[in-house]
Amino acid sequence: MPAAATLKVLVVDDQNSVRQMTRMTLEQIGVRHIHEAENGRQAMETASLQPLDLIISDFYMPEMDGLALLRAVRGHPAARRVPFILLTGRGDRELVVKAAQAGVNNYLIKPFTTDILRQKIEQVMGKLS
Amino acid sequence: MASLDQLKQTFFEECSEALQQIEIGLPDLRDGTASDDTINAVFRSVHSVKGGAGIFGFEDLVKFAHVFETVLDAIRSGRLAATQEIVDTLLQATDVLSDLIGMSRSGQAIPPDHDRECRAALERILHDNSGGEGSEHEPAAPADFEDLDFTPVRADQLDSGESDGGEREYQIVFRPKAELLRKANEPLYILRELGKLGTLDLHVEVDRLPPLADLEADRPYLSWTGTLRTVVTRQQIDEVFEFVRDDCELEITAAVAAADGGPESSAGGPQAETAVPPSAEILPSVGFVPAAAATTSVESAVPVATSPVVNGPAASPPRAPSAKIASAGATTTRIELEKIDRVVNMVGELVIAQAMLGQVVHNLPDDVGGQLVQVLDAVVHHTRELKDSVMSMRAQQVNAVFQRMPRLVRELAAKTGKKAHLEMIGENTEVDRSIIERLGDPLTHIIRNSIDHGIESPEVRAVAGKPEEGTIRLSAEHRGGRIVIEISDDGAGVNSERVLKKARERGLVSPDAALSEDEINNLIFLPGFSTAETVSDISGRGVGMDVVRRNIQDLGGRISLKSERGRGMTIQLALPLTLAVMDGMVVRVGQETYVVPMSAIVECLRPPASDVHNLLGTRGMLRLRGNLLPLAHLCELLDIRSTGTTADERVVIITDTGDGARFGIVVDELCGHRQVVVKSIEESYGAVPGIAGATILGDGRVAFILDIEKLSELTAAPSAVAGAARPAGLARTASETLN
Repeated sequence: MPAAATLKVLVVDDQNSVRQMTRMTLEQIGVRHIHEAENGRQAMETASLQPLDLIISDFYMPEMDGLALLRAVRGHPAARRVPFILLTGRGDRELVVKAAQAGVNNYLIKPFTTDILRQKIEQVMGKLS
Repeated sequence: MASLDQLKQTFFEECSEALQQIEIGLPDLRDGTASDDTINAVFRSVHSVKGGAGIFGFEDLVKFAHVFETVLDAIRSGRLAATQEIVDTLLQATDVLSDLIGMSRSGQAIPPDHDRECRAALERILHDNSGGEGSEHEPAAPADFEDLDFTPVRADQLDSGESDGGEREYQIVFRPKAELLRKANEPLYILRELGKLGTLDLHVEVDRLPPLADLEADRPYLSWTGTLRTVVTRQQIDEVFEFVRDDCELEITAAVAAADGGPESSAGGPQAETAVPPSAEILPSVGFVPAAAATTSVESAVPVATSPVVNGPAASPPRAPSAKIASAGATTTRIELEKIDRVVNMVGELVIAQAMLGQVVHNLPDDVGGQLVQVLDAVVHHTRELKDSVMSMRAQQVNAVFQRMPRLVRELAAKTGKKAHLEMIGENTEVDRSIIERLGDPLTHIIRNSIDHGIESPEVRAVAGKPEEGTIRLSAEHRGGRIVIEISDDGAGVNSERVLKKARERGLVSPDAALSEDEINNLIFLPGFSTAETVSDISGRGVGMDVVRRNIQDLGGRISLKSERGRGMTIQLALPLTLAVMDGMVVRVGQETYVVPMSAIVECLRPPASDVHNLLGTRGMLRLRGNLLPLAHLCELLDIRSTGTTADERVVIITDTGDGARFGIVVDELCGHRQVVVKSIEESYGAVPGIAGATILGDGRVAFILDIEKLSELTAAPSAVAGAARPAGLARTASETLN
């Protein structure tokens, strides 16, 4: 049972407002160590340097979209095992299918409540203490 | 930690940026010059608005954005062609989106009809395109997609530890496509990775291999089929092909678990390697291909003249992009305006203090001052650089004002039943915020005028042989230390006959005055002038070009007009780059010091007394290169006692009045030309006619900055009545006012 307070999470989204909302929601669950990245490239830099327990990423981003980021992460020796949750919109069903093939751990439909975020994380990491 | 309100603020700022992106991208889409990146950027912008709106609960905005987004998605995936009509609807949708954002931001209730028409138009587009595909209207975001066969993957399942235990056999078929090689992926390394997972027994299919002479290095000809016996999870096998999933034909099917040591496992283990004749390696590369496929083990699989060498296993290519993508373009950051303004103020004070320091040093005896002068030079140099850097922080692209214009043109054209489009050039030209803020109104009015009076109706244009759609060209560029903005149209130009007639009717021009075409055209800048027979509501009542000219002059700029009957009209604005710092000429009148803006000065001279003629009814006329210019004495305008400067020593500053005529201002002495920091006195004293602001000179004294054009107006034209009365409201001397 991982402790929420010890988890190191990376939030990737090109919109600052979404990053901050996700951060606030994570903090409500008890997560304390939250990294942020604006795009896939920044995310990869962080992922290759920092030990991470979870990556939560949007799909639609310039330069490198969420799916490309997922594949890059899965291909990186240091980061390949980090669980990855993809943020999707209401209409992005097909996207989830593709992400599944690429090795995503779970998906999260925007907008999400604190409970749903917790549920999705626990589906991947086990019950949070 | 940000509060919800701050986040909302951030979201609305993001919406502004998103709208800008859309405004930039859609015209390209209309012209057919949009790249995939452009279309994606527009799509992402609408998507971002929708996403954020969902988070903050702006449901109406979400619903509209969703339909908008769906149409854009259809376009970017190629399912819908972006015709001009469709893009025009999208442009309207942008306007509606902008309205909805504005209303959400200000907390207004959104009238239900506001987006109805546009939304219906968008839905029609979708419907026509794909038989009945309506927009989705889920009331709230579901937690999961219905009927989606997705099982969350637990983190620890990624480790090989949690596998079933026991060996499984998988059938593998791997056929790389050209894209795989093009993306610098190497089948050899992929197969090596696969081999690490267990026992791999592959057989290569070479039937597509051409003779060596016909071989193309970037095309794949080989494919592999075989089996993998392994204890690892299916996930881990998939992982090996993650990066190339879309670029190959791949089948991985679990076979029945193979018993150890069964007959299937005998062929192709690592031990078989030595049994393979060396020629099997060489053969494919030389083109001697045996009819039957050769069996090779993974270790000796031959990459035939394929891609550039990729270092390390298949895992590394994804790392290259992340490490090596140079950041294209400048990195930016957000700063609150207040902070910048404070720094600008402080630098202004620093410039003043440094000027005062210079004065003190200047007055020191040489032996003391000598060293200081050198140090001071360095200080001056650095202060100037600091000032330039700080001023550039305040600089904004004129696009901040320009970007509103396309929508304006669209709306006005629609309202007046005319067709017009806007071209913008140089929208990235930078100018200080202080100017940008005050540019909006004049520009809006000029463009309104253009559409209202300039651009003709499509029928009239057709008859005149012009394209039905009028063009308005808005451009900005730096020229000679100023920013020059031009607004030109290909409309009918100024109707000079009508203008002259109206001017005569209103007594603005004497009936028998002979005016040049240019002079007639410039009459429209006179107050109260409007030739519209009916004042259409868009041009407004009583808001004429004179107000525009006043606005521009208040900024220290100039406005001029050129018109060609039937061809069009060009209005040119020349503005200073900033209001905060100004080039000024320090002048002395009696004991008082004033600053005259350099922009107001045409030339300065010290004419001999013989060139000044005292004609009855004037304060003097100066003969200059064949012309007679009226003179005004600053000491009289400001009611200052002139000191004993003789007529010969006095300096005349030639300046323009607003309507192109010139006159000369007489002062006692010119004290030098310098950059002064403009301080506004409006807060303390209100608007004082004739005074544009104040500054602190090097000796610490305050000097007023004169508004020359206003001064000339206040005294009535200097050539008018003799002994012009001093207007009561005119400013007194600096010392009087301050005490």
